[in-house]
Amino acid sequence: MVVDAHHVVTELYAISNVPTVVLVNEDDTIAMPNWSAYGSDLFSEFTGVESGKQHDRIRRWVREGDAGMSTGEAIGVVGDLSSEEEAARLHFRLALALRDRGDQAGCDRNFDRAAELAPEDWTIRRAMMPLRGQDPFGENFMALYEDWKAKGSPYHGVRGY
Amino acid sequence: MANDTALLDSFGTISEAQLAELGWTLKPEGLCQDDTCVLIPDRGALVSNDGLGLAVLGDLLDRPVAIDTEAGLAAIGVPRVARRQALDDLVAPDFTLPNLTGGGVTSLSDHRSKKRLLIAFSSW
Repeated sequence: MVVDAHHVVTELYAISNVPTVVLVNEDDTIAMPNWSAYGSDLFSEFTGVESGKQHDRIRRWVREGDAGMSTGEAIGVVGDLSSEEEAARLHFRLALALRDRGDQAGCDRNFDRAAELAPEDWTIRRAMMPLRGQDPFGENFMALYEDWKAKGSPYHGVRGY
Repeated sequence: MANDTALLDSFGTISEAQLAELGWTLKPEGLCQDDTCVLIPDRGALVSNDGLGLAVLGDLLDRPVAIDTEAGLAAIGVPRVARRQALDDLVAPDFTLPNLTGGGVTSLSDHRSKKRLLIAFSSW
């Protein structure tokens, strides 16, 4: 298990929410790009996802090499980050660095900018909540969730798997 | 490393020493890293008496740049080509991150030749 404090992987793989799972073959090719998959049914009422079917898909991929998605289907199925979403990740990093330096005003300035740039990105919006003293399961989160749902649940990942 | 991000003290320009921290060197033939050089179409736009312009440098290296001029701090993102290869060519970009426990780092490529289940999650 590794720690990605600066959200490098979200930038490299265009990840905008967690959990996001990527299936990577032996030869470094991606068998299943960004996929909202779960370890259990703890949040299934909330997400509508049955984790057991996803686990079966992963087992089939491990045993038989079939991730259930063809290469043709997988290419380009995940949309790239916009320039605003890219910039949001950089301002998130600036906020963290300035927080570490004790520059709270600079930290807030960059968190605010990141949120403006990527308002539907959970790896930005929700991730900053605990860092700003907010409850990631509280009122701010529910407001974010309702807004995100109203906008069609935007997500950089595959759907329906 | 190729897919690293960077934070640099900067108000919009950087020195050649900071450029070296990014793994690049300014040479007559262009911006060079090992045997690879990126041509500089307009050297005057990149190089000034204050140093190398970060915005122009970001464009040349195809890496996003954000500068907080109030704090004098800049962030440089990963090369966009790495993400495009993931999305369009289905090539998993390598990365190296610190381990949660026990010290050291782990790279995706440490487990090459094996299937890898990459799970991005947060404890919130």
